[in-house]
Amino acid sequence: MLKRFLTGLFVFGLVGSSVAQTTFPRNGVYDERPGLYAFTNATIVVDPKTTLQNATLLIRNGRIEAVGTSVSVPAGAVVTDLTGKTIYPALLDIDSDYGMPEVARSGGRGGRGGVPQYESNKKGAYYWNQAIQPENEASVLFKADAKKADELRKLGFGAVLTHPHDGIARGTGTLVTLADDLENTLVLKPTATAHYSFSKGTSGQQYPNSMMGSVALLRQAMYDADWYKKSGSKEQANRSLDALSRTSSLPAIFDANDKMGVLRADKIGDEFGIQYIIRTTGDDYQRLEEVKATGAPLILPLNFPAPYAVEDAWDADNVSLAEMKHWEMAPLNAGRVANADILFALTTADLKNKADFWPNLRKAIENGLSEQKALEALTTVPAKLIKADDLLGTLQKGRLANFIITSGNLFSPDNVIYENWMQGKQYIVANKNAADLRGTWNLTVAGLDGRDRSNLKLTITGKTPGKPEFQLMVDTVKTTPKVTVSDDFISMQVQLDRRKGTSRLTGYRTGNTIKGDGETPDGKVVTWSMTRTGDAPSSTSATSTTGAVAAATSTTAVGTLLYPFVGMGNVQKPKPETMLIRNATVWTNEKEGVLANTDVLVSGGKITKVGKSLAAPADVKVVDGTGKFLTSGIIDEHSHIALLSINEGGQSSSAEVRMADVINPDDINIYRQLAGGVTASQLLHGSANAIGGQSALVKLKWGEAPEGMLIKGADGFIKFALGENVKQANYPNPNVLTRFPQSRMGVEQVYMDHFTRAKEYTKEWADYNQLSTKQKATALAPRRDIELDALAEILAKKRFITCHSYVQSEINMLLKVADSLGFKVNTFTHILEGYKLADKMAKHGVGGSSFADWWAYKMEVHDAIPYNAALMHNEGVTVSINSDDAEMARRLNQEAAKTVEYGGMTEDAAWKMVTLNPAKLLHLDDRMGSIRVGKDADLVLWNANPLAIYARPEITMIDGAVYFSLKDETAKREALQAERARLVQKMLSAKASGSSVVRPTARRSRMWHCEDVEGMVEGEH
Amino acid sequence: MKKLLILFIALTSLTSYGQNPAPAKPQTKTIALMGGTVHIGNGQVIPNGVVMFTNGLITNVVDGTTVRLDLTNVETIDVSGKHVYPGIISPASTVGLQETGAVRSTVDKQEIGVLNPNVRALIAYNTDSEIIPTIRNNGVLLTQAMPQGGTVSGSSSVMMADGWNWEDAVLKKDDGIWLNWPTYFSREFNFEDFSTVIKKSDKRDPAIAALRATFADARAYAAMTNPTPANLKLESMRGLFSGKQNLYIRADYAKDLIEAVTFAKDMGVKKFVLVGGEEANRAIPFLKENNVPVILSALHRLPNREDEDVDMPYRMPGILHNAGILVSLSYADEWWRTRNLPFQAGTAAGFGVADREEALKMVTSNTAKILGIDNLVGTLEKGKQATLFVSAGDALDMRTNKIEHVFIQGRKVNLDDRHKRLYNTYKEKYGK
Repeated sequence: MLKRFLTGLFVFGLVGSSVAQTTFPRNGVYDERPGLYAFTNATIVVDPKTTLQNATLLIRNGRIEAVGTSVSVPAGAVVTDLTGKTIYPALLDIDSDYGMPEVARSGGRGGRGGVPQYESNKKGAYYWNQAIQPENEASVLFKADAKKADELRKLGFGAVLTHPHDGIARGTGTLVTLADDLENTLVLKPTATAHYSFSKGTSGQQYPNSMMGSVALLRQAMYDADWYKKSGSKEQANRSLDALSRTSSLPAIFDANDKMGVLRADKIGDEFGIQYIIRTTGDDYQRLEEVKATGAPLILPLNFPAPYAVEDAWDADNVSLAEMKHWEMAPLNAGRVANADILFALTTADLKNKADFWPNLRKAIENGLSEQKALEALTTVPAKLIKADDLLGTLQKGRLANFIITSGNLFSPDNVIYENWMQGKQYIVANKNAADLRGTWNLTVAGLDGRDRSNLKLTITGKTPGKPEFQLMVDTVKTTPKVTVSDDFISMQVQLDRRKGTSRLTGYRTGNTIKGDGETPDGKVVTWSMTRTGDAPSSTSATSTTGAVAAATSTTAVGTLLYPFVGMGNVQKPKPETMLIRNATVWTNEKEGVLANTDVLVSGGKITKVGKSLAAPADVKVVDGTGKFLTSGIIDEHSHIALLSINEGGQSSSAEVRMADVINPDDINIYRQLAGGVTASQLLHGSANAIGGQSALVKLKWGEAPEGMLIKGADGFIKFALGENVKQANYPNPNVLTRFPQSRMGVEQVYMDHFTRAKEYTKEWADYNQLSTKQKATALAPRRDIELDALAEILAKKRFITCHSYVQSEINMLLKVADSLGFKVNTFTHILEGYKLADKMAKHGVGGSSFADWWAYKMEVHDAIPYNAALMHNEGVTVSINSDDAEMARRLNQEAAKTVEYGGMTEDAAWKMVTLNPAKLLHLDDRMGSIRVGKDADLVLWNANPLAIYARPEITMIDGAVYFSLKDETAKREALQAERARLVQKMLSAKASGSSVVRPTARRSRMWHCEDVEGMVEGEH
Repeated sequence: MKKLLILFIALTSLTSYGQNPAPAKPQTKTIALMGGTVHIGNGQVIPNGVVMFTNGLITNVVDGTTVRLDLTNVETIDVSGKHVYPGIISPASTVGLQETGAVRSTVDKQEIGVLNPNVRALIAYNTDSEIIPTIRNNGVLLTQAMPQGGTVSGSSSVMMADGWNWEDAVLKKDDGIWLNWPTYFSREFNFEDFSTVIKKSDKRDPAIAALRATFADARAYAAMTNPTPANLKLESMRGLFSGKQNLYIRADYAKDLIEAVTFAKDMGVKKFVLVGGEEANRAIPFLKENNVPVILSALHRLPNREDEDVDMPYRMPGILHNAGILVSLSYADEWWRTRNLPFQAGTAAGFGVADREEALKMVTSNTAKILGIDNLVGTLEKGKQATLFVSAGDALDMRTNKIEHVFIQGRKVNLDDRHKRLYNTYKEKYGK
């Protein structure tokens, strides 16, 4: 056990463990040693803020006994003179999988023809979902791995926090050192942290199969753990919930993917009073303000994207400006995070090649990260975050003797890490006593061809003493001899006479002289010697100067941030303006109808005046509306843009999921739709299941983070769905379908069942809430169920249904279910057969949100007709025309115009179908959907009658801020091209100077429609 | 369950197909459309025009304010205040080849295999499709039934939106062969983050080699008379080398389309047409030098890249047209959406094609030229077939596209369709 592994220069320490092995029988004699070492005359970086010169570090039995400039060295200490060398605390990485079992990538997630797995396959008293496995303990799973430890030790790491990277609740992390020893010794803190992520990992269970499902599952599990602690354990034994509740007070680390993940994870933490430490992917600089506002400490990776091969101008079109900018700006991330005063640690995770750690860290330093912050991020900060600062992170008395000995400044490019001491044990990375051979030497070889060759000039250069480079002048020819140096032995292969071949010289060093003998190509033995004559011609300093120059150039020409971080993003987030639109034709959607030659004043985000020849206030921006048309912005009642996922199809009901958790403000479709006059959208869950998820009502504020897009104070909505998608009628492999329901009969029962339970749940809580405090103390609290919460809100008329529907029989069904259980359906969406029962819809008071002319794409739209909207409207149903499609949403004005063609709607009524009516259906008509004083200034200025095919928006504003301006488009496009061109030049020179490049590929995020299930073959609407 | 489903589909098909109006009877009496705004389809407009046709052919198109025609024995229809257009032509279409997208048994648009030049779309063309009457109702009177799939998909035919069977309905048989050029970039779906990754394809060289061999063989075969053994595939490609048939090349990326057109020229193909052309703007000099006409895929699509101008698809017809390239608009492989083709011309007019009549050409005479049917249809000119319609207003704008009369080869077409029938049925329900 003592000697697990010996590799290369890595020499195992002499001292055996003294603690852990006490309980172990020995095969041999005891070999416990005092472990008393003194390191003298060193520069000691006690912590990132304290550096001592000419100081002593004294360690005993793996702990620091003293550090300072006046430490007296006790008798019996092994003394090492470290004159000219520096001691740093060893580095700490808190996102490691060191010593953890390999996480197998799961193949069978079902959906692609495989049999879907709806229930847990894990035997035992665990949670119902395999992605929740807080019972996993890293300290139990941990097995030291000498090869991987070695890799990290070389970089200067002394300890890592390791955990299994699998699942949503992943279990606990354990703090271990990177020594080669018994696990009993290595584990410093068995249960240090709790770990979470958004990825279900190896779980093959269907649920969750979306990001919002991951969020919901974790939230529910947290509520369940609380319930289990309070009362649930009386009902059942559940190791997962037990573990989740027990570990709730540990420092919690959340692997959050990206910048949006940081915000998402923090929101979950807020709900449960937990401040997560959040591991990011290094794009935080793109949303620094919002990331900082979370207050979360971060763990940042140091992997940076490679430049793209952009030689071919056409192929290079596939690389987006955002990708190019991220290539340039990723190394700035740590520095910007630091400058924003966000607490952060650095990790080697994500580095495919761990040896890139130092070059990349130096790159981050060149790009604005201070050395002190870098050191803190690798020592004190991570130690404090995981509450291990009593053990690690500094070289104060009492801490573990985990430190590294370096040649100088740890962050300098020519620094050498000589030794890495762990728990008082020495690991040699490079020989600190190795002679520095760099310099000029005179080589003399005697007896060669009967004559001596003397005073051959040998120059030894190199960045570090450990990596010398040799150059030998033979006559006037420069040669590069092959040389091996091993401690004081040196062997060289030299071409002393080019015609004859290689002579081999072997010798040993004494001070500034090296002597020995060797063999000529013809086997003749010769003697040789060489003597140092002086310093090498400044090669080391030249290298570092070049480094400094490179640093200067790489920091100068860095591009600007964009909000969002997309080519078409804004340099600055748009702000509300005071604006007067003069002399436009104003379509009010109010009883005034269309007003010719009218002015509209906008201020503070609201419409403040509507009238003729309004007086212009000071500092107002005047827009000439002559010959143009002003309307309120288009509202899309049914949209799936700006979302990271659409369907949580793992169950027949996913009422617990929230689309607000998966808003993607970087989706270019937001901007494209602004260019089509859309200002607000209901971002809906898909139609994969009978009860979908909770909608996000947003304004298309291009540049804002998700919270800034959400419409404050809007009512809650939820998606329901009927028909073919719900019963999985068009799935590619019908033979493997096992999810209930598979028929329209079953769909009804899903509703009956869920609402019956929601009623009981409501009552259960009402009964409990009526109890006195005293009674509550003894009563069992009901379990909080976030799915039933959402359904209870529907029953309480606090949440409203938008139901995907096609066929009249099922529409009728839901109306009956609603009537019998006492709730209302707010809106039927698609509703292509609404015309068949418009009378019943009007009676129920439900609205219809439809396509203008879609049909024929599947069986249940066989009876769809473009006259549907007109027929429903004429029966008194509030009708809107929606998109469900990123492309069609760009021209919803044209879709509205189709109701004029089909069914003869008036232009006024047609226009309301994409403005006021969707506002009504979304309960936003008190503030949106028409031009009236006091309403939100969500306005569009059109070049023509907005219903005409020839119409296009010239200005689209939201809350009085201009988000699209046709006039500014040219400048914006030119700026985009200029920025691309600059980065192309930069990438070309990066490649020319030897950087490896990646071929241009384009990553296009999915265009979602409502029936797209993740992992399913793409379907249609 | 399955059986029931099939039975269900069969029943609905039977009942509904029976409801399409009967095809129109041949024209017996000369008809004159009086006083309308006549859009010739070649860029010209006659504000107060008369369009007269006999036995299916246009005999007169004149300015009603200056010319008086002899109207003896002529059925006159007053269309003053209305607009007369040549029938809109929808190229690259699957109308008649598929009925209900998700129901496999109603889809006959593509064959298995890679090289199927011998497969003929008109064979599957279903004149009883309920889609057909709906597209007539927006002015689309001709479609090019196009096969899909594989590398060489088969041959297309130009069909009229009226007829008892495909033999009646066909206007031009086997007008061209369809080639899907193996793409320079391939798309891979990424199941990790559900994105699509586009990267350089490493599978195209063998596909192009196979194409080259096939075209070389076909060219040699075409030089033979009565070859034995007869080869159906090679036989079907003869027209490409004599100039009787177009080669329709589907390509979007600039490198692909340059490569594909060069290939066609090298192989001795006489007439070729680029279809798709989503990035044709990057190859304008090449397209001009080689006189390549372009059938653009639907303008109502998203830009191809995040950084592309938001209105680039809409502007594409104008960009190509202004550079001197012959442009036609299509609804790509959409079927039911084909009825919106006139509005694509409207979009082109709104985004860079300066003149609405020029935009109209992109769905009428330009398309006729490209398909080789401009001697028959595409404009309202003397001697051409009376395949035309009357709209209450501007047919390129959905607000005003209200089709009142449709004539196909002079036959007066019943404008009933499934949608109107259901509309009327339910108006009855609500007593209105």
